[in-house]
Amino acid sequence: MRDLMYLNYFENLLQEANNELIGQAKKDGKICVAYVCENTPEPLMNLGNAFGIRLHAPNTGSMDIATYYMTSFLCETTRALLERAIEGGFNFADCVIAPDGCTMINRCVENMELLGTMGKGNEKFFHEYMEIPLKADDNGVELLILQCKNHILKPLHEKYGIDVSDAAIRKAVEEHNRVCRVITEIGKFRKEEKPRITGYEFHILTLATYVMPQYLIIDKLEDTLEEIKTREPDDKKYRARLAVVGSEVDDSGFIKLIEETGAYVCADRFCFGSLPGRMEIELNDEEDALTQVCRHYVYHGECPRMFNMEKVYGRKAYVNDIATEYGADGIIYEQIKFCDPWAYEKLLGSTMLREDYNFPVLAVDRPYNISSSVGQMRTRVQAFVESIEIKKIQGGAKKWRLR
Amino acid sequence: MSKFKKLPLMMLGGGASFFAVTFIIYFFNLDMKFLSSCVEPILLWNYDRIPRKQYI
Amino acid sequence: MAFAVNDKKRVGEKQLGVLFNEGKVRRRREWRGIKDTLYDYGRWLYLLSILARVIIKPRNVKAMFRYRWFANYLAVPHMMDKFTMGLRDEPLRIVHTAMDFVVKDVATCIDNSIKGDRRTGNNVKYSDKCVLWDENAMTAAMMGFPTLNCILREVPTMFSANLLNQHSGLHYLDVAQQFGIPGDVCPMPEAELGVSIDDDFPVLGKCAVQVNTTCDGSLMGNGLIAKRLEREYGIPTFQLVAPMRHTEEDVQKYAANDIKKAIAFIEEQTGEKWDWTHYFECAKRVNQTTRNRVAWLEINSTPYPQFIGATFSLYNDTNYMGNCGRFPIFAEIDKKIMKYVTHGYKNKTMMAPEYRHRCIVWGVQPQYIIDMLNWMVHCWGVVPLTDMLSMVISEEIAEEDTPENREQAYYDMAWLTMNMIMRNHTHGGYKVLVDELWEYCEKMNADMVMMWEHMSCKALTGMHGQFEEQARERGINLVWVCHDLADPRVFPRQAIRDQFNQYMRTVMREEPLDPTIEVLPDNNAW
Repeated sequence: MRDLMYLNYFENLLQEANNELIGQAKKDGKICVAYVCENTPEPLMNLGNAFGIRLHAPNTGSMDIATYYMTSFLCETTRALLERAIEGGFNFADCVIAPDGCTMINRCVENMELLGTMGKGNEKFFHEYMEIPLKADDNGVELLILQCKNHILKPLHEKYGIDVSDAAIRKAVEEHNRVCRVITEIGKFRKEEKPRITGYEFHILTLATYVMPQYLIIDKLEDTLEEIKTREPDDKKYRARLAVVGSEVDDSGFIKLIEETGAYVCADRFCFGSLPGRMEIELNDEEDALTQVCRHYVYHGECPRMFNMEKVYGRKAYVNDIATEYGADGIIYEQIKFCDPWAYEKLLGSTMLREDYNFPVLAVDRPYNISSSVGQMRTRVQAFVESIEIKKIQGGAKKWRLR
Repeated sequence: MSKFKKLPLMMLGGGASFFAVTFIIYFFNLDMKFLSSCVEPILLWNYDRIPRKQYI
Repeated sequence: MAFAVNDKKRVGEKQLGVLFNEGKVRRRREWRGIKDTLYDYGRWLYLLSILARVIIKPRNVKAMFRYRWFANYLAVPHMMDKFTMGLRDEPLRIVHTAMDFVVKDVATCIDNSIKGDRRTGNNVKYSDKCVLWDENAMTAAMMGFPTLNCILREVPTMFSANLLNQHSGLHYLDVAQQFGIPGDVCPMPEAELGVSIDDDFPVLGKCAVQVNTTCDGSLMGNGLIAKRLEREYGIPTFQLVAPMRHTEEDVQKYAANDIKKAIAFIEEQTGEKWDWTHYFECAKRVNQTTRNRVAWLEINSTPYPQFIGATFSLYNDTNYMGNCGRFPIFAEIDKKIMKYVTHGYKNKTMMAPEYRHRCIVWGVQPQYIIDMLNWMVHCWGVVPLTDMLSMVISEEIAEEDTPENREQAYYDMAWLTMNMIMRNHTHGGYKVLVDELWEYCEKMNADMVMMWEHMSCKALTGMHGQFEEQARERGINLVWVCHDLADPRVFPRQAIRDQFNQYMRTVMREEPLDPTIEVLPDNNAW
């Protein structure tokens, strides 16, 4: 396929956490709200003059200092983020909003706060910690509303004078939905027999929407959508179509590695992926926008920490649904090393998807930066892809959900 | 001595014997030595033989 | 060097190392002088009688041959020898009073579990009156259900079993890991999951309640256990929420609302009704327990602490969390302990020839498994004044039955649930984990912190660097003692003790009080 016009542009921007678009937005006089977890309602960080940036740490190498502070048993994402913060890589942030979601990300941000890694010279700088509902129910919605008011809207308004009115939230949701729409539209091309976009390319575009000021990239994303509509797909058959499920994937190299084995990543159900991360938020006029945003996050979130059994079973049903919809032959359940929530979810998910939904499943753990484990990971993915091919040859399609 | 008169002596003797035996068991830890070397291995052997439905 | 010297001559055994060999159990029991040896012997007989009353029942014999965890209960007297090592006078009596009752409580729990268990006792009528309750949770929401039995089935299978036999969790850890759980998660919920996968839990109860109390591992393990409960055994489960940031005002309503839902769930499943009179009776006892604990801690802040170590922590766990005011008998035991504590304090009773350091024990502890705290006193004269798990609430809850208090009660139950042992410090932000430690050091006049670093506890190790730097700034001696809780293959007992030994010799430049126990050949012991 011909290269996408802006792919290289986005790839280059993703090489730095403090990318040039953040600098541009800051020059525009905007306030940067840094966040670290998918459970934080994104539109609320893009209100008025603010723009939300999800912290990530591309090209992470040594994590020695963060390992001293948090030991080698904490998940690599959290150590990579702390290391980058200590290095001064997140100095663009005007505040950090962290949920007490998984324990490790909370500790990561607490260390950032105690070490004073950000906000030097900015008297208005603040850290906020939110409680995130653990069950999808109305009590959880009520909690999230209160938490958003106390830990996002109030400090943003009081410290930076951000407009947090209902109208402002509606406008932010509208802009959020515009981004979601374009990513979802692009993502739908992955359903095609001969897809017009690779999983790697799609991951680059999706990741960009989380770590760059959205208002500065939306036009390029829309141009990309138009470009894909007329893009000629490669005339090749992939060895296997795979859905990737699990912890956040900040390193597109992981998706690239999977596709280099001849597989195709057709669906992304991981933290900060597009399913359901780029699902539009539907607002009505009868109810205030904040309530509707919070309800969306509580009921549509797929975070493994949601532990009511409807959600526990529902997450597997959701993976089945998207795997079916996107024509996956198999599923990779992946977990960042030392991540407790996904360690358990990976076990239950891989078991249920295999036994109850008849999908071949590979369960792996992986480092934050895949370059430290390329050989091992490639071997495992190759073996998995081969096993799917063998199943197809041996007529396993009857038992397994193979195309 | 009548049976009635012997009773306290018998009780005393029985009590002393009970104390002597149990105190020896107690002090030399014979109870734990017996259970750890004779009973536990049998139980563990038995557990390994039980067919189980290992399942998630 | 010492801050308190024992002016009473120690009676009986002076070098405790003589009791140990390479075996599973000790060479012999300790000679404590005539009076205390006879006392200990008497309690040993009592302990055997508790065990005999359990094992005499045919259903329990059947269970002993069915459930792997049951074999660990052979080691009950051995556990008591661990906890009473080197003790005389009041401390010996305190430990026996507390621990014998804990044994009785666990024995009752086993007996009840087996009574309703579908595989062994199979008393359906009884089982229908049982609610399975998460072991890692306060039983506060059961305070208003006097006619229901709250069964904490993980206690006998996993938690208590681990006190008795350090190897008790290994089989279950292997099972869980064989199915795909990584080795870096906390062994406690991992082993519980292993018990579930291995089908080694008693199966009983009308319904079950799980709570997200301790950690992400515990929270996530619940889903897997609940799946088997619901789908295979048809036991519906309720997931009760305990917010993480429990000190914040803006989470209290959320927690209280979920308590209401849990109560409604139990009522619906069992057909029983919530009893406010009984709830407030229990609440009074919860407050009494709190007052007693605070009083014991006050005495521990003097030069003559009495109720300390793993027993202090274990008894508090049982009373505060497992009992939660539901059984009046605990009040009696509290009274007895209080009598000994007061007496010991007045007599200036000490456990070792001298006390050199006053230590706060922090972090997630394996002290039950190896009874490190008792060893610290005898080997190094380091007195563990209190530990993280014992530092639970000091506030009292509403105890009068009024309309306002009935609403307040939901908040109180939620407060208790959120402030479950350990998680009230490991969760809720760094203030409750790090800052409060330094406050306790000051309050209790401690010059040392023994930091249990449970390597798989991410909430704790996530603050490793902060502890180290802040202790240095404050001039507090901080001893890191790393372990992997229920998995002695990672850190064997002596490897754990060696960390403390090295600190005392190289940093503190001290010699042990009893050099015969500096290195103990007990890695293979129960």
